[in-house]
Amino acid sequence: MFTPVARQRLPGEQLKTIRTKADRVTSLTPRRRSRRTVAPPDRRTLDISEMTGVHIDPSRAPVAFGRLAIPELFAQLVEPDAARRLRALASLCDLTHDPERLYQVVSEGFLDQLEVLLKDGDAAVRTRTCELLHLVTSHNIARQALLSSPLLARLSQLLDDPSPLCRTRAHRVMNSLALLPAGAKALQALVPKLMLKLQEEQEEKEEEVQALLLSTLSCCSRLDAAPALSHRGVTLIGRKLSHACSNIRREAAGAMMALSVIVIAMSQVCEAAVLPVLADLLRDQDVDVQANAAGAIMNTVVITTGKHQCLELDVLPVLLELLSQRKPDVEEEQRRKALVLYSLRALTSLAEAPEGRRRLLLQLPLLVGRSEPPEEDADIRRAARTAVNVVTWTP
Amino acid sequence: MSFVSRNQKGTNGTYTFSSRPRPVENRSKYREKQTEKAEKAHSTYGNIMYDRRVIRGNTYAQRFLSTMVQEDLAEMQRQQELRRRAIAQKNKTKEQLRSSTPEAVQGRKHNVVQTELYLEELSYNIELSHIECQTDPLLDRPATPLFIPAKSGKDVATQIEDGELFDFDREVQPLLEVLIGKTIEQSLLEVMEEEELACLRAQQRAFQELRNAELAEVQRLQEQERRHREEKERRIAQQREALRMEKETVEKIAARAYTQQYLADLVPTVFQSLRIHGFFYDPVEKDIETNFFPWLMAEVNSKLEKRNAARQLLDTLIHDVAQKKLPLYTNLETRPEK
Repeated sequence: MFTPVARQRLPGEQLKTIRTKADRVTSLTPRRRSRRTVAPPDRRTLDISEMTGVHIDPSRAPVAFGRLAIPELFAQLVEPDAARRLRALASLCDLTHDPERLYQVVSEGFLDQLEVLLKDGDAAVRTRTCELLHLVTSHNIARQALLSSPLLARLSQLLDDPSPLCRTRAHRVMNSLALLPAGAKALQALVPKLMLKLQEEQEEKEEEVQALLLSTLSCCSRLDAAPALSHRGVTLIGRKLSHACSNIRREAAGAMMALSVIVIAMSQVCEAAVLPVLADLLRDQDVDVQANAAGAIMNTVVITTGKHQCLELDVLPVLLELLSQRKPDVEEEQRRKALVLYSLRALTSLAEAPEGRRRLLLQLPLLVGRSEPPEEDADIRRAARTAVNVVTWTP
Repeated sequence: MSFVSRNQKGTNGTYTFSSRPRPVENRSKYREKQTEKAEKAHSTYGNIMYDRRVIRGNTYAQRFLSTMVQEDLAEMQRQQELRRRAIAQKNKTKEQLRSSTPEAVQGRKHNVVQTELYLEELSYNIELSHIECQTDPLLDRPATPLFIPAKSGKDVATQIEDGELFDFDREVQPLLEVLIGKTIEQSLLEVMEEEELACLRAQQRAFQELRNAELAEVQRLQEQERRHREEKERRIAQQREALRMEKETVEKIAARAYTQQYLADLVPTVFQSLRIHGFFYDPVEKDIETNFFPWLMAEVNSKLEKRNAARQLLDTLIHDVAQKKLPLYTNLETRPEK
């Protein structure tokens, strides 16, 4: 390691001043932005900030220091120039990753100002605002604030936005809101509109939007499935079950599962011939799709028609096969837990039909095997025991 | 704006004047009519430098007010002439006023003479002397020597040895710690947050799975319950129906038996009652009863009536007689007593 040594000035030598581009640039407080102070060319000393060079990102507005950052940026959001607003929004998006800033945003009530921006004429501004809202929903206080503000109505209008990116972002925000029970309750009013969107989306090929839409619908339907049902939910979602993208299949199966908790839905599912599609999905590649399909079946076979249809479709062997598979990897087992659980419940319901019982009596060892201690998971054991009980029940 | 100007007689009788500085009002170039002047409401204040009374700039060569801007050339010449004449006149008058030496006596002439100690030759010819100089055209200009100012002051030298100033390794330690620490802390925070979120999601998922499974179970049990209940109700209804039928049958049988028993006695009773009421009768007997006997009885009755009537008559007759004879007999009864 060297230590700096001051060299005596030789006669005739002058101190050379290092002039960089930094000399010509100002310090970055927005207040002084209008007046550029140029460093005099014969300065003998340099500031640290000038030595390190200035990294200006042209797509981001400069950020003030400390607690003034957020208010300053929000003040810039009302400027008439759209480019400036975009830059301010970009900086805001960066800042809100920090929970402290986010708290500041929410507690000082800046969220309502975003409402004006959502009506903005420029599509890029709207998209950025949606992104900001999405970042904001990762925290609980922000979610609560969002739910109680009029932003929700504005967001629902954005679902019809001409720009596809904006629509995607708005859907993302809705989705992250719907994961909260209070959010799902607030979004109940929007379910008819979402069903309409689902119908429309069949013409477009927006996969992410469809997946998000279905996910939101399933969250809302878990709370109360009636609105979705009354708007022909079963038919619309049933059509999505055979989509090419596995995300959409998974979400559609999940939505179907959430819907089929109501008895009316069960009968609708049986009538609409959705069960064969679900049975096909049981043989899908993706574990989640299989799990959701098994869940939907498990809900539907509670009624007698469902039972008979499933037995006709020969779903029993498939379910048993799913049950007998054991993956060596613990992680995989965890992921398959849902699948196993749902299959067991489906088998329990099927065992109530005499035909099912007869067939399952032959397969009893398999079920007993799942209910014994070699099985780690207590829930699976319990479910298996119930299944065994039902199968061996005699009047 | 108060126009404060104070003229005071000082304590020792001196006169003082002081006023607050006040801006000068703008005066229009041309005189205004009296009416307009009176109506002037707002007077604008002008820059004092642009006031006609203030002299701007160099006053050394100022001999007249230079307010004329555009002038004709002739006009200017004329004015210059006027000025010259005025000056000449002034000089003349000055000369006239100045006291001079009296005129020379007749036959003598005044002469100008120098009276100083050292006489000077006064002439208008200036002595000149010519001196020429020319640089050598082919000589190079030598380089200017470096100007080294003369040394003044004391020479002092210094040298920073190893380890005198600071030890970089030691000094940089806290800086590095802070920098790296903060960065890692921030990144840890972010990672933990994401982990937390992922954890929450996983928990939510697990909960949802369990919930769904349990919900299915609940539905199944509910359905089972419903089926059982319906079955039970159906059976109970059936049973009740059967019971009801049975009861009905029993009642029917009982009713039948009773009716039979009741009706067995019916026919003789009917005949009996009819007989009692006289529906079966002997016609001769009836005829005798209905026709003969009433006539017989009526005849008998009338006969008896007659007899009765006769007897009654007799009775009345007897009674009447007895009545009439009563007073006689009473009289008889009383007379004998006397």
